[in-house]
Amino acid sequence: MSVVVQSKTKSVLFEDTWALLLGVLTLAVLAYGAILVPNFASAFNLSQLAAGMAEKALLILPMVLLIIAREIDLSAASILALSSVIFGLLLQSGVPVLVTLPLVVLFGAALGAVNGALIVNLGLPSLVVTLGTMALYRGIGFIILGTGSINVFPAAVTDFGIGSVPGTRIPYVILPFLILAPLFAIWLQMKPFGRRVYAIGGNPAAALYSGLAVARTRFTLFVVTGAVCAIAGMVFTARLANARANNATGMELDVITIVLLGGISVWGGKGRLTGVLLALVLVAAIRNILGISQIGGDTQGMVIGLLLIGSLLISNSTGFLVAWLRNIGALPKTNG
Amino acid sequence: MTNLKHMLMSTVVLSMIAVLPVAAQECATAPVVVGLLPKLDTDPYFQVHKGGAEDAAKEMGGSVIQAAPSAATAEAQIEFINNLIAQKVGIIAIAGNDANAVAPALKRAVQEGIRVISYDSDVAADARQVYVNQVKGESLAEMMLVSMADLIGAEGEFAILSSTPTATNQNAWIDIMKGMLANDAKYAKMKLVQVAYGEESEQVNQQQALALAQAFPNLKGIIVPAGIGLPAAARALEEAGLIDRVKLTGLAPATFMKKYIDAGQAQDIWWNVTDLGYLTYYAAQATAMCKITGAEGEKFTAGRLGEYTIGKAGEVVLGPAKIVTPANVAEFKF
Repeated sequence: MSVVVQSKTKSVLFEDTWALLLGVLTLAVLAYGAILVPNFASAFNLSQLAAGMAEKALLILPMVLLIIAREIDLSAASILALSSVIFGLLLQSGVPVLVTLPLVVLFGAALGAVNGALIVNLGLPSLVVTLGTMALYRGIGFIILGTGSINVFPAAVTDFGIGSVPGTRIPYVILPFLILAPLFAIWLQMKPFGRRVYAIGGNPAAALYSGLAVARTRFTLFVVTGAVCAIAGMVFTARLANARANNATGMELDVITIVLLGGISVWGGKGRLTGVLLALVLVAAIRNILGISQIGGDTQGMVIGLLLIGSLLISNSTGFLVAWLRNIGALPKTNG
Repeated sequence: MTNLKHMLMSTVVLSMIAVLPVAAQECATAPVVVGLLPKLDTDPYFQVHKGGAEDAAKEMGGSVIQAAPSAATAEAQIEFINNLIAQKVGIIAIAGNDANAVAPALKRAVQEGIRVISYDSDVAADARQVYVNQVKGESLAEMMLVSMADLIGAEGEFAILSSTPTATNQNAWIDIMKGMLANDAKYAKMKLVQVAYGEESEQVNQQQALALAQAFPNLKGIIVPAGIGLPAAARALEEAGLIDRVKLTGLAPATFMKKYIDAGQAQDIWWNVTDLGYLTYYAAQATAMCKITGAEGEKFTAGRLGEYTIGKAGEVVLGPAKIVTPANVAEFKF
C-alpha cells in the first residue's frame, strides 16, 4: 500500500497502537458475544445487526473524510430525512423506482452543495453552517409532510428493505455500504484526493500555500456527503417502509461518536477509515449484546459514552507511554 | 497492508451470516416467555404496565421480559424487535411508536415463528393478531363531561383546555361533548365558553389555565383532555389560589392528580394501567397457545379480570375508563 502523507511522522506508531487496541477490543467483544451470550451468534441476529447499522455505516464514510479535513457536517441526518421525504413523495406520485434513485442522489448532493457553498465560498465555519442546515433541512421535511408519513411503496422498495441476498442472510440494505466502503477506503488512502484531505486537515495554511486545490476539495467533500446521505435516506426509507421528516433524528451524533472512537482526530489530519469501521462493528456489537441481555436504550447510550471517554483516556496515556519509552531508549527515536 | 487486514476483519461479522431455514409458527402447549416492548425504556406508565404483566405471570406461569429504546421512535424500536426475536421469545407484545414503520420488522418476527400482539398503541393490523386497547376513545369524551357536571353541579360556565388545534383525538372528543351539550337536557345549564390550547407544553398549559380563569370571572371549571395539561393546569391554579373556584377534570395519570382529587378540587378520567399489563399478559399467552387468533367473537379468560371477547379487527378493550374520585383514587398505581 502506498504511504499516507503523515505516516512518517511520529503519530504513526500511536495510530497503529490505537487501531490494534480497537481490533483486539472488537474481537474480544465478538468472541464474548459468540461464546457467552446465547443467540448472539445466530444467523438471524447477525443479519439484523448488519441491517440495523446500514444507514449509520453509510453516513460514517463521508464523515470520516470531513473530520480528517477539519470540517464537520451536523446536517447529515437531516439530509437523510429530507431525502427520505422526497424519495417517498416521488414514489407516491408514481415516478418509477429506477428514475427516483438518481434524482434523490442528485437532490442530496444539491443540499450538500448548499452547505459547501456557504462554508467554502463564503468562508463560514462548517460547525455553524451545518448546525443551521441541520434544523433547516429537517424543518423543510416537516413543512412538506407535517408529522405524517408516506408508507405505501412499490414492492421493489419494500423487498429491498426487508429482504436478503438470495441463498444468504446478508440483508440487501447493507449492500450500498459494502459497495461504497472499499471505494472510500481507496479514495482516502490511496488516491491523491485522499492525500489532499489529510494535508488540508493537517495544516490548512501549508496546504493552501503548497498550491493544493483546497477550496475545490472541501466543496467536493460536502457534495459527496450530501449524496451519500441521500443514499442512506433511501435505505432508511426502504428498511422502515416509511418516509417521514423525523427519520433518523439524532443519528449525526451517533455517527460522529463512532468516527471519533475510531481514532479520527477531532483536530483533523489524523486517523484512518479502517479504525472507524472497527469502531462501527464494536459499537453495534456492544449495543446488540446489551439489547439481547435486556438492557434498555438509556443504559446502552451510557455504555457507549463511557467507551468514548475511556478511549480518549487510553489513547492519551498511550501517547505518554510511547514518549516515555522513547526517552528511556526502549523504543527507537523516529526519524521525522 | 494492515489497513486491508483490518477491513477484512470488520467484514467478518457479515460473512458469518449463513443460510438458515425459516421457522414455522407453532402453538405453545405451556405458558411462554412474553417479550414486552413498550414505547420508551424508562416511562413510568410502562413500568407499572410491566408490573401488571408480572402479576399475571405469577398466576399462570411463563415469564415476562421487557427492554425498550431510549427514544420513542420506530427506528429505535426495530432494534428491540430484532433483539426479542434473537432471544427466541414465545410472543412479542408491542406498544408501537409508529403503526406502519414497525410492521416489516414484526412480520419478520412472524417469519421466525414468533407471534405478535399489540397493546396501548396499535400497530398495522396485518402485523399483529390481537390489539389490547385500554379504552374506547369515544367513551372518554362522555365521561369527561359527566365528571365536569358532577364537579360543578351541572350548572355554569366551563372551558376546555385541549392539546393542539390539530390533535385528531381531542378534536373528536370536543365535537362529541358539544353534541351532548346541545342535545342532552342534563347539561342544558352548562355553558362551554372557550376552547383553548396548551400545545402539549407544561408552560403554555399553565399560562392558558390562568388566562381562562382571569378572562371569565364566572368560570367554574376546565376540562383538560391531554395528559400533560391537567397536572400543569392544577399547579398553576393552585399557586394562583384559584383551584377551589375553578374545578378541573380531564385525562391524566391518576397519581399526578391525587392531591387535587383528594381535596375535591379535581377529578380525572383514567384507566388501571396495572390491569392493562395483566390483560396484555393473558391475551399474549392465549394467542401463543392458539386459544385466540384475533378473529371477532373469540373469547378468553384473563384471571381476576374475567372473560374478554375479541371485537372488530382483533381489538380487545380493557373496559370503560373510570372517573377517579376520592373514593377510588387509591386503586390507581399510575
